[in-house]
Amino acid sequence: MAGLTQLLNVARDALTAQSYGLNVTGQNISNASTPGYVRRVAQLQTQNLGSQSGGGVVAAGLKRVTNDFIERREFQATGTSSAATARDQTLASIEALFNDGGGTGLGAAMSDVFSSFSALASNPNDTTTRAKVLAAVGAFTSRANDTANTISQTKIDLMQQAQDTVLQVNQRAQEIAKLDMQISQATMQGDDASDLKDQRTQKILNISGLINTHTFTDGSGNTVVQVAGTTIVDGQNARTLSLDMHADGSLKLLADQSGGGGSEITQFLTGGTLGGIKEARDKDLFDVSSQLDQFVFDVGTAINTQHAAGVGADGGTGRNLFDLGSTATNAARDVRVSVDVFDHPDRIAAASNALSLPGGSDNAVLLGKLFDSQIAVGNTRTAAQAYGDIVGSIGSTRANSQRDVETQGAILQQVQSMHQSESGVSLDEEMVNLTKFQNAYAAASKMIGVADQLMQTLLNTVGR
Amino acid sequence: MRVTEQMRYDSVSNNLSQLSARQAKAAQESQTGLRVNLPSDDPIAAAELARLSASQAQITARRSTITAVRGDAELAESSLQQASDLLATAKDLAMQGGNGALGAPERAMLAKQVKDIKEQLIGVANTQGSTGYLFGGSATQTRPFGNTGAFSGNDEDHVVDIGNSTPSAVNASGSKAFTAAAGGRDVFADLDSLYTALNTNDTTGISATVTNLDVSRAQITNEQASMGITINKLDASDSVLGALDLQTSTRKGEVGAADPAKSYATLVQLNNSLQQSVTVSKSILDLAAFKQF
Repeated sequence: MAGLTQLLNVARDALTAQSYGLNVTGQNISNASTPGYVRRVAQLQTQNLGSQSGGGVVAAGLKRVTNDFIERREFQATGTSSAATARDQTLASIEALFNDGGGTGLGAAMSDVFSSFSALASNPNDTTTRAKVLAAVGAFTSRANDTANTISQTKIDLMQQAQDTVLQVNQRAQEIAKLDMQISQATMQGDDASDLKDQRTQKILNISGLINTHTFTDGSGNTVVQVAGTTIVDGQNARTLSLDMHADGSLKLLADQSGGGGSEITQFLTGGTLGGIKEARDKDLFDVSSQLDQFVFDVGTAINTQHAAGVGADGGTGRNLFDLGSTATNAARDVRVSVDVFDHPDRIAAASNALSLPGGSDNAVLLGKLFDSQIAVGNTRTAAQAYGDIVGSIGSTRANSQRDVETQGAILQQVQSMHQSESGVSLDEEMVNLTKFQNAYAAASKMIGVADQLMQTLLNTVGR
Repeated sequence: MRVTEQMRYDSVSNNLSQLSARQAKAAQESQTGLRVNLPSDDPIAAAELARLSASQAQITARRSTITAVRGDAELAESSLQQASDLLATAKDLAMQGGNGALGAPERAMLAKQVKDIKEQLIGVANTQGSTGYLFGGSATQTRPFGNTGAFSGNDEDHVVDIGNSTPSAVNASGSKAFTAAAGGRDVFADLDSLYTALNTNDTTGISATVTNLDVSRAQITNEQASMGITINKLDASDSVLGALDLQTSTRKGEVGAADPAKSYATLVQLNNSLQQSVTVSKSILDLAAFKQF
């Protein structure tokens, strides 16, 4: 009698265990497309019934199939790929400013200025020709202003984007700390914390897309999240980051300190969207701005010098064509048609001396000849060469950036593939498991039926 | 290696995305006929194209300059031809006046013709072109020769840039053609002398002007020849610039234009690849064991 009862108990435990397996399989299937979900495996083990043999089965819980090494690689690859993408998006918009294919860029405007000098030389006393010189100079300054302002506005937009990104990092850090606390409580209560762990990993992955991130588990079992080389989450404690600007306008990332203030960690900011923004804003845009300012300053200064040496139709001399600062700083943004000549075509200095007025054209020729002179980059490049250098430089930077996006994207895909291979749900596999647990459940039911029949047989025999 | 559904989806998505991007790029290249649509397509080529575009704009400007000044140069040359013809006529009159068979009244009539010639010559010397008076030097807005033939202009060159290493003068010098300022003869004074000699029936004086008129005419002819050389120089420069323009366009094509046949072949190849990839992707995504259960 005890044997049959034991058989029933074993069958009952089997039903429970296989049902648990079915539940876990169902959970996996349900979450096959859930971002961050890590597949579970039902942990079934033999139940020891003391000294008696033939113990049943018990569901000892489930296992999240993860690999810390691959996870950390995914955090790193996500950060690097996000940085490359953020940088490339900025460069794409800046590259368009220097795309002179349509003949409407700054290069074309510069050419028009020199061409207008040639036209002026052919008819120096013609008011329309003189007005065209002023129009060409005005178009050049407007184009330079527009280009510089667009770059400047992009810097402002990137600063705002950086602020938003830091805000998101801080929010995620708070959420991770909170999840850590919940995981700790669930574990202490003996509950399954797999869902919470999935969420935490997903949050860390999210942060790693925003800023370069590294994680590890400390001696106490707490998850430590470091961003830009600084611990931002240590177990249930979260720290906040803030953003400021250096005197030169570059980004300054600070990790807030408990006693107030913040320690600067900008130099460790290398990845994530924030790292890409910093690279684009403080390196790429700075370089483009500097080159553009130098170009405008060099061309403007050379033309001013030659123009000031000439004489206007009104006999005046020593006038500039461009209003420029004394240095190249912000030259593209601030350059204007000089107030000396604005609205006064007669003041364009086509002649080199008052005696040759009004038909003197030698200064106009010399102005036009500046096109062939090395007036830019420390008098080592012509204006056209200098502009070509800028176009080439931006094109080269963007091309490198695109390659970076492709390379880092491929690396990320590879790591994500490794992660999926390890932790992702395979529906094929789950269907096999489903069938396995379903059949085992059916067999266990059959065991109960058999035990029942044996019991009935026995009772009928004894009762006769 | 375990292969999950997500891996299949990601793989299909990534591959189709990359192939679509390449196909879009090839389509753009075929549509625009340009290999370099953005600086990043080929930075070195884009930099060269920027320089070539600037050079070509300058070539165009210089050719426009040549076109603009050539008209005045031709007008100056033909005006000098008229002036030369007028002096030839004046010399003929002087030769007639030197004929001993003529009396004072006939010479007075010849003097009247010389006076007309002088007035015509002043008109020629005050010819205006598109830039103003052609023979006043840089004083293009003031009538250079007064009613007596007095010169109020200067000998400044009108220089333009036609692509040579030094600026080129493109105007005729009224000073050299008609005045004694450059060591030559005052053409109008010579005509005045002839007029006076004819009017006063001074046969010795008439004979003396013949040689002077020859020198004056040579002076005008020299300036005319100089203008002919200038026009030839303009034409030669235009020809050189035209060749340079063509060469620059060709170079731009070599650097930035797409090979149409190659572009189209690439586009067709990528279209086919994309089509095949879609078909294969569908097969991959259809691979699911649970559909068989």
